[in-house]
Amino acid sequence: MQRRPERDLARVAAVDAAALERDALAALAEAETADDVERVRVEYLGRKSALKLALREVRDRETGIALNTLRETLEAAIDAREAELSRAELDRRLTEERVDVTMPGERALRGHLHLITQIRREFEDIFLGLGYTVVDGREVETTRYNFDALNFPPGHPSRSPLQTLFLDDETVLRTETSPAQIRTMEAQEPPVYMVSLGRVYRRDTPDATHSPTFHQAEGLAVDEGITLADLLGTLDYLCKQLFGSDRKTDFRTHHFPFTEPSVEAYVSCHLCDGSGCTVCRHSGWIEVGGSGMVDPNLFEFVGYDPERYTGFAFGWGLERIAVLRHGIPDLRELWRNDPRLLGQF
Amino acid sequence: MRAPLSWLREYVTTSATVEEIARRLNVSSLEVERILDVGVADVDGNVGRFLVGRVLEAGAHPNADRLRVCQVDVGEGDARQIVCGAWNFEAGATVAVALPGALLPVLDAPLDERELRGQASRGMILAEDEVGLGDDHAGIMVLPDGIEPGTPLVDVLPIRERVLDVTPTVNRVDLLSMVGLAREVAALTGGELRLPDVEDPAVVDEEPVDVTIEDFERAPRYVGRLFRNVAIGPSPQWLRARLHFAEMRPISNVVDVTNYVMHVYGNPLHAFDLAKLAGGRIVVRRARDGEELRTLDGTLRRLVPEDLVIADGERAVALAGIMGGEETEISEEATSVLLEAANFEPLGILRSSERLALRTAGSNRWEKGVDAYLAEPAAELASRMIVDLAGARMTGHLDVHDGLPEPPVVRFRPGRADHVIGLEVTDAEQRSILEGFGFDVSPEWDVRVPTWRARDVTREVDLVEEVARAVLDHVPLTLPLRRHVRGRLSKDQRLRRLVEDVLVGAGLSEAYTWSLAASDPRPDAIRLPDPMTADQVVLRTTLLPGLVEAARVAVETGVEERIGRFEIARVYLPSGEQLPEERWRLGAIVQGGYAAAKGVAETLYDALHADLAVRRVTHPLLHPGKAAETDAGILGELHPTLLEGEWGALELDLTTLFAAAPDAVEYEDVLTYPAVRQDIAVAVEEDVEVGALVAAAREAGAPLLREVRVFDVYRGEQVGEGRKSVALHLAFQSPERTLTDEEAAELRETIVARLAERFGAELRA
Ligand SMILES: [Zn+2]
Repeated sequence: MQRRPERDLARVAAVDAAALERDALAALAEAETADDVERVRVEYLGRKSALKLALREVRDRETGIALNTLRETLEAAIDAREAELSRAELDRRLTEERVDVTMPGERALRGHLHLITQIRREFEDIFLGLGYTVVDGREVETTRYNFDALNFPPGHPSRSPLQTLFLDDETVLRTETSPAQIRTMEAQEPPVYMVSLGRVYRRDTPDATHSPTFHQAEGLAVDEGITLADLLGTLDYLCKQLFGSDRKTDFRTHHFPFTEPSVEAYVSCHLCDGSGCTVCRHSGWIEVGGSGMVDPNLFEFVGYDPERYTGFAFGWGLERIAVLRHGIPDLRELWRNDPRLLGQF
Repeated sequence: MRAPLSWLREYVTTSATVEEIARRLNVSSLEVERILDVGVADVDGNVGRFLVGRVLEAGAHPNADRLRVCQVDVGEGDARQIVCGAWNFEAGATVAVALPGALLPVLDAPLDERELRGQASRGMILAEDEVGLGDDHAGIMVLPDGIEPGTPLVDVLPIRERVLDVTPTVNRVDLLSMVGLAREVAALTGGELRLPDVEDPAVVDEEPVDVTIEDFERAPRYVGRLFRNVAIGPSPQWLRARLHFAEMRPISNVVDVTNYVMHVYGNPLHAFDLAKLAGGRIVVRRARDGEELRTLDGTLRRLVPEDLVIADGERAVALAGIMGGEETEISEEATSVLLEAANFEPLGILRSSERLALRTAGSNRWEKGVDAYLAEPAAELASRMIVDLAGARMTGHLDVHDGLPEPPVVRFRPGRADHVIGLEVTDAEQRSILEGFGFDVSPEWDVRVPTWRARDVTREVDLVEEVARAVLDHVPLTLPLRRHVRGRLSKDQRLRRLVEDVLVGAGLSEAYTWSLAASDPRPDAIRLPDPMTADQVVLRTTLLPGLVEAARVAVETGVEERIGRFEIARVYLPSGEQLPEERWRLGAIVQGGYAAAKGVAETLYDALHADLAVRRVTHPLLHPGKAAETDAGILGELHPTLLEGEWGALELDLTTLFAAAPDAVEYEDVLTYPAVRQDIAVAVEEDVEVGALVAAAREAGAPLLREVRVFDVYRGEQVGEGRKSVALHLAFQSPERTLTDEEAAELRETIVARLAERFGAELRA
C-alpha cells in the first residue's frame, strides 16, 4: 500500500516535516549558484541539520519511513537544482565561447601516393571489376619473350640497339609488358583475362613526352569467341572510365607485329570536347593506345589452338594518361619527386 | 608522304570530298596527319583573278633599266599594261597573270594597280613562288604555247591545291604511292580506279644494254633502259608544281621524272649519265671491302661487303636503293641516260642505310619491301616522260631477273571473318571488299593476293584484317562473355597496396626513382654494355640511393615539416643465369635517425600482423653503430656521408615480409578476464640489448605473460657506471579465468629470476 508522505509527515512530532520541506524548497528556488545550493544542502541535509538529528532519534517505523522519504525528496530536489544551474552555466559559456572558424586546423601528417601509382590502381580496379587478374611480369627479359614470341620480324626497328636497351645479344630490358602475356599463356590454359602493368624501357632521348623508362598497362583476353567487337567495347569502357562517361571513342586501323587486325584507339578530347585545341592538335581526338586481335602466331608459340581460341590485347602508357588527364606538362617531372608536385595528387 | 588531291583524282574518280577521303583513309588504311591548303586563297572569287595571258609586247621601261613594260592579252579584248622585272620571256610567251585585287600567298595585301617609275601596271606576271607552286623566283613561269589567253589559270596549273599528309604503317609500303592511295580511295569510297594509261615508247636504233646482277637475293630485278639525244632542261611547270607539293625539289627534267614516277608507283628509280659509266656497263654487286663512293650529297662513303652497290665496268657508281654517286649524276651536259628501274631486297637496304645513317625517299621504300612487279610500269611511265619532256630516243631495253615471285593464294572462310570481327558481313560484301583492294577471289574463296601486298598478306587472318579494316566503323561495342573469370589481386599485390596506404597514412610520400643507377654497392651488379647516359649504367640492387636522392630534392625544396619517402620497386640481383633475380623491395627514408626508421618498421609490421625481430648488423649504406637487420631486410640510420642530417632508412624484401603476414588473424580473448599489470625495473650492463631482456621475459612468463613493453631506459649514478636501468611493463592474462595477485607475483618473480640468471639483472623496483 502506498502512503502519501504529506500525511505521514504531519504526524512526525520532533520536526515539522511539511514546513521543513516547504522551507528547503523555497531556499533552493532562491539558490543562484552552486555555493548557494551547497549551503541549502548543509542546512537541510547536513549532519547537524534538523532532519538528520530527527532521523537519529527515530524510534518507530512509521516516522522513519516518513523522514527518509523527506530526505530523498530533498536530495532529489537539490540534485535537480544543481543540474539546472550547471546547465545554465554551460549555456552561458557556450554563448560566450567562439573560435575563428577560418583558422587552420591541427593537421595529421599525411603522405601522398605517386600519381602514377594512383592511375595504376585505377586501371587495375577497372579491370579487376571486369574479372581480370593482375600479373606482375619481369622487367629483364630474353629476346625470345620480348621479340620472337611476340612475332617481331627480323629487322624490326625495335630489335635494334638503337631502340632497345640490351644487356647482351639475347637479353633486354623489356620494351613492353607483353612478355608477361606470353609467360602467362604458357603457364595456363585459356581462358585468360589479365592486365599487366609496370616499367618498360626504351632507348628514347628524354624530352617532355618521352622518358627512357615509363609505365605501360597492357591487357589480354583469350577465350572462345573473343571478337574485335569485344576489344572495341572494352576500350570504349576503359576510355569512359578514365576520361569521363561523356567521351566518345574512335578506332582506326594500325599495324603491330603481335596483333592482326590491329587498331589504334582514340578518345574524344576531354578538354575541348572534340572541337579542337592544342592538346588534341586541333583534331578533337586523342590517341590513347594500340590494340588488336592476338596474332595466331602468338597462340602457336604458347601452344593454344588458334582455330578454337581468339583473343585481344591492348597497351596504354600510364604517363600518357597523367599528361592528358592531369595536364602534367613534362613527364620527366614525374621522376623528380618534387614534393610540390607529389603533394598535388 | 604528301598526296596532292588533283594528282590523286587523276587516278581515282570519286564523289567523296577531301574530308570524306581523309576520314575513310584514317579509319581503314593509314594515318592522315592533316589536310594542307596550299596555293592561293580560295576566298571571295580570288581564284578567278588568276588568268593565262599572252605577252603581246615586251618593251624597255623608259625610267628603269631592270624593268620591262609589257602589253599582255588576258582575254579582255584590250591588252593590259604590266610592268615586270623578269627577263626570261619575250613577246609571244604564254604567261600566268594575277589581276588587281588578287590575294597572293607572298603578299600581305591584295595586289593593286599602281605606277612603277611612272608606268601604270595593271596586274602581275607571276613567278612560281608567288602562287605557291615552287620556290623559284629567278624568272616568271613560261607556260606552253597554245593556251587561250583569258583561260582561268586554275585550269592549267594547280594554283589552288589541297594536299593530304599521310603516314602509312610499315606493312603498307604500297601506300607510299599515288596509285596505291588511289586504289585505297576507290575501294573505300566506292570510286573508280584509273591506272595511268601509258604508251611505252618504241625502241629506235636499238643498242645493247649491258646489265649484270651478281646477287639476285639482294637485287631480284633490274630493268635498264637507254636514251640518246636527251635534252636536259627544266621540267614543265605542272611537273615542277606536283613535285613541289609532294615535298620534292625540282632539279631537271630527267631527274624530276625519276622522282615523279617514284611518287606515282612507289618504285624508286635512278638515272645515270651513260657517258660516265665505264664501258657503259651496269653490274649489281656487293661492295668490295673498303671500296669508296662519293654519293650525291657530296659525302665520301667507305663501304663494306654487306653494302649492295651499282657498279659500272670499274667502280661503284651508286649505293643501291639508297643514293646515287656524284660522278655519274645527270648534269646539264648529259645527252645519254641509263634509266634504272630495279628491285632491292628490304633488309639489306635497311642495314646499309642504318650503318651509314643515310635515309632517303628511296631507302624508306626499299626497306619496307617494294613489289618487284612495279619495275616494269615504272620504267614505262618514266620512259614515256623522258621521251616526251627531254625529246629523247629510247635506244635500248633490258629486264634482268631470276624469276619473279608468285603471289600467295590463301584459302579464306568468310564465316571466320565474322567470328573474329564480331559483326556479320555478307559473303557478297566480303568478296567486294577484297576485290576492291585488288585481291582476286575465286568462287571457292581461294584468294590470290595482289603482288603489291604479297609480303603482308599470307594467311587467312591477314584477309580477315582486310575485311575488318573496311568495316571498322560499323563494328559494335561489346564486352567478352567472361564465363570463367576470377578478378582479384593476389595476396602480395593486396599487401603491396596495404604497405603503400600504411606508409602514406604515416606521413611518407611515394617516390619513383630509376631502375638504372650510375653505380651500385654490389660490384657484380648487372651493367649495360652500352648505356644511354653515365647516370643510368647499372641495374640497381638496392632502392636506397634513389631514395636518398629523392630526400635531397625534398630538403632542397624545403616545403615539408618532416620528410619521408618510400618506394616499392624491383631490384635486380645477379643470379648466375641469363636473367637476374627480380625482387620486389620496399625502401623508405625518413627524417630522424634510427628510432624513426624503427618506428616505420614497427608500424608496418604491426599493420601486417607480423613480428618484428631485429639483430645488429653492419651495412655499407647505414651508420655502423645504428644498423639492424630483420628477416626481410635492413633498417637503421643512414650513413652520415650519404646525406646531411639524421635520417632513418630501411629496405625490406616484400616477398619475405609478406610470407610472415598471416592470411587470417585469429581472435584472442582479452576481454572476458582482466589483465594484471605490473612494472619492473632491472639494472643490467650497458651492452645487454633490451630486445634480449624482452625475449627472456617473454620466454619465462609464457603462456600467461601477454605483453612486455620497454617504457624507460635510465642511466645515472644510482645505477652505476656502465650500467642501465630498463623499466618493463608486464601484463599477465588468461583467457580462462581471472588471475590472482599471487599468481601474478609468482610469474613476476620467475621473470626477474630469469633476467638475473641470464643477464645478471638486479631488480631495482
Ligand atoms: Zn582538344
